[in-house]
Amino acid sequence: MKRFRIAGDVSALPTYAFGNRNIHWWGTLMFMTIEGMTIAVCAAAYLYVRKNFEAWPPPPTPLPDLVIPTIAAVLMVLSIAMMTRVHVATRKMDLRGVQRWLVIMVIVGIVLVALRWFEFKALNTRWDSNAYGSTAWATVAFHSTLLLFEVVETAVFAALMLFGPREKKHFTDVEDDAVYWYFMAAIWVPLYVLVYVSPHFA
Amino acid sequence: MTVARGVAPLLPLEVETVRPDPVAPQVWEEVELTDADQELRKELLDTWGDNPGLWGWLRSTSHLSIAKRYIITAFLFFGLGGLEAGLIRLQLSQPENSFIGPDRYNQIFTMHGTTMMFLFAVPVMVALALYLVPMMVGARDVAFPRLNAYGYWVYLIGGLFVYVQFLLNTAPDAGWFSYVPLAGPEFSPGKRVDTWAQLITFTEIAALVAATEIIVTVFKHRAPGMSLNRIPLYVWAMVVTSFMIIFAMPSVATGSQFLAADRLIDTHFFNHAEGGDSLLWQHLFWFFGHPEVYIIFVPGLGIISAIVPAFTRRPVFGYPVMVLALVTTGFMSFGLWVHHMFTTPIPQLGQSFFTAASTMIAIPTGVQIFCWIATIWAGRTRFATPMLFVIGFFVVFIIGGVTGVMVASVAFDQQAHDTYFVVAHLHYVLLGGAVFPLLAGVYYWFPKFTGRMLSERLGKWNFWLLIIGVNVAFFPMHILGLEGMTRRIYTYLPETGWGPLNAVSSAGAVIIVVGMVVFAINFFWSLRRGKTAGENPWGGETLEWATSSPPESYVFMYLPVVKSRAPLWSEGSERVVVGGLRSDVRDTLTTTLMDAEPDHRQSSPAPSIWPLMAAVATGVMFISAVFTPWGLVVGSVLLFFALFFWGWPDKADQAKRLAGESEATA
Repeated sequence: MKRFRIAGDVSALPTYAFGNRNIHWWGTLMFMTIEGMTIAVCAAAYLYVRKNFEAWPPPPTPLPDLVIPTIAAVLMVLSIAMMTRVHVATRKMDLRGVQRWLVIMVIVGIVLVALRWFEFKALNTRWDSNAYGSTAWATVAFHSTLLLFEVVETAVFAALMLFGPREKKHFTDVEDDAVYWYFMAAIWVPLYVLVYVSPHFA
Repeated sequence: MTVARGVAPLLPLEVETVRPDPVAPQVWEEVELTDADQELRKELLDTWGDNPGLWGWLRSTSHLSIAKRYIITAFLFFGLGGLEAGLIRLQLSQPENSFIGPDRYNQIFTMHGTTMMFLFAVPVMVALALYLVPMMVGARDVAFPRLNAYGYWVYLIGGLFVYVQFLLNTAPDAGWFSYVPLAGPEFSPGKRVDTWAQLITFTEIAALVAATEIIVTVFKHRAPGMSLNRIPLYVWAMVVTSFMIIFAMPSVATGSQFLAADRLIDTHFFNHAEGGDSLLWQHLFWFFGHPEVYIIFVPGLGIISAIVPAFTRRPVFGYPVMVLALVTTGFMSFGLWVHHMFTTPIPQLGQSFFTAASTMIAIPTGVQIFCWIATIWAGRTRFATPMLFVIGFFVVFIIGGVTGVMVASVAFDQQAHDTYFVVAHLHYVLLGGAVFPLLAGVYYWFPKFTGRMLSERLGKWNFWLLIIGVNVAFFPMHILGLEGMTRRIYTYLPETGWGPLNAVSSAGAVIIVVGMVVFAINFFWSLRRGKTAGENPWGGETLEWATSSPPESYVFMYLPVVKSRAPLWSEGSERVVVGGLRSDVRDTLTTTLMDAEPDHRQSSPAPSIWPLMAAVATGVMFISAVFTPWGLVVGSVLLFFALFFWGWPDKADQAKRLAGESEATA
């Protein structure tokens, strides 16, 4: 009969790890890939129906407004820089820093959600007007679900880091939340250009 | 092997690499447990076992339990899909048959296709992998056990929803690919197509969840020493499949949401009158739909690669080529979708490109088939039932593959499009490429799941009935198609002369049914009376055979250490393992991506009711959205609460986990 031979002991290994050593980082990466594909499909649909129109946007639809969407897009890009503060704090296990910056990010997130409401209005069309309206709304609406999800998740992590039963592992979870924020905010830039800016040059 | 980053001197593991690849030993020996091992076993059972009773059953997050439920559910849907196929063949067995009317017939063939593709083929393949992949890479659990349970429940709710709708005469009736404008609001009023669109969302979520599980489990939970070039071919096949799911499924999930929106809130994605485009639907569907064929078929290739070594007593010939062929198939499958659209107005350049790509994908599959033939040639082959099904796969699938190369040609395709020729082709490909390997896999792994062997005698009956039945049922369809019989007609006139061949085809369907009844009898008989199997009845070489049959809830008492591509054939008189995982919490080992060096320990979450609750909330969200858009809002709020309680740390669990881990406490 065979026997076990124990060739090594893993009991001294740590119980958490940052970055791509952590399985949740990979889970987040897969999630971002799925969402990224979905966004690509929305953008592809927007570009695909364009060939069916002689003018873009189709008259009498006015061009989308640029003011609020541009402000929101700039804030979106700035939010990435702000989120790196959370990220750096997690790596240092700086609890105060993580708490402070998570709360700030929740506020930034709420502002972004509020601006999103006006961004829908800035489309100057409705989802049921024509295929231009449908695809533009779909693109913005789908990204809005990511935005909303991310803001809620950040709020939950803020609550956990402020009041919850914390452990060190949670710093790595907050890091993944930051990584997802980068994705959510960065992917908005091409969508903003596509939906709000490009019709001005059509 | 080197020490993991900045970690105490528990390593290096003293493990030598075995080269060349070992061949199978003559006799298989099991490991003898010492008293200390028995003690550890008791503790592990306490920690990893499912809680008793219905409450425990609903909260279970064990990948073994979830995968078994998944497989059984998928086979039940297979039975329903088969029943629908039987009804179709009954109706078509003679001209001007009045057994089923046109409206019911539309629902039945749509349900047959939808069930087989979305509720059987993909789920059963990923479910098998959710059971086997963690075991084959030497892990105790999947990466995200709660998410895994959620995926199963979502799938179950979606499947039940569509069948309840079927009973209410609201089953989808626009074909399994629901082409607009037929499936649009103008030509399909009522709720039938909405049911289809939401079913797609449910099944895609489930498949995406399973794909994530498989990828992360393989990347981060492999046994120490299982570097990328030692991953079993079946596991490689499932990794490729999972990536295909991740890139393909969002397309149809989004497309089906567009379709639902067109029908429910008057959007115009596919409405030509307002600048929409029905071809957009075809692109979105087939960008998913063609990889889907490979999502079903690549796991089949993996199963063949898992079975062939055990029955030829040598590793599969050409491992690197096999892996590259799988990866190539995965990539190329995304470059073929337009060949489903050759009869639509697409540019000639597009036609040429997609013809070339469709022909080219035969190459990686051909390479694999030659590698298997080389393996069989070099080995001492034993024709037990699993191996018979492997041979059946060769025969049936190659016929389907050859007709596939035929329809890849635009000129031929324009003749054959939407005829029974295509029906014959796709059934040869899917039955040959997926069902034969799947049944081979069931015969091969049944002892691992149940501890008993399936009957060889009934297995051989099962095989011969099935292979004869499949050919009798589907070969005549090639000829019917060339004679001009189109798909999806509920009856035809006697003057067409299609009667006799259709009767032959229906007779073939009867033989298939008899074959599958033999399978069912074998299954239930063997479950109670089958010969008892040891841990490795076939003398297989991969790690799923290094644990008891059926495996205990913790799967591996100590995590195995891998020193070759055929770990069990190179272990000699001792099984090299690592110790030091905790037995009082669900401790798992996370290893590095490339070389699988031990990196950190990580504890799997405890059982929870919240994955089920989250699935119910998802169900409320999508099912009520069929009737009112506000359903989405209500469902999202419910989903938020479910996810919150799912993720928020439980204080008792946490205290237990952190006991003795002072450095992890914040």
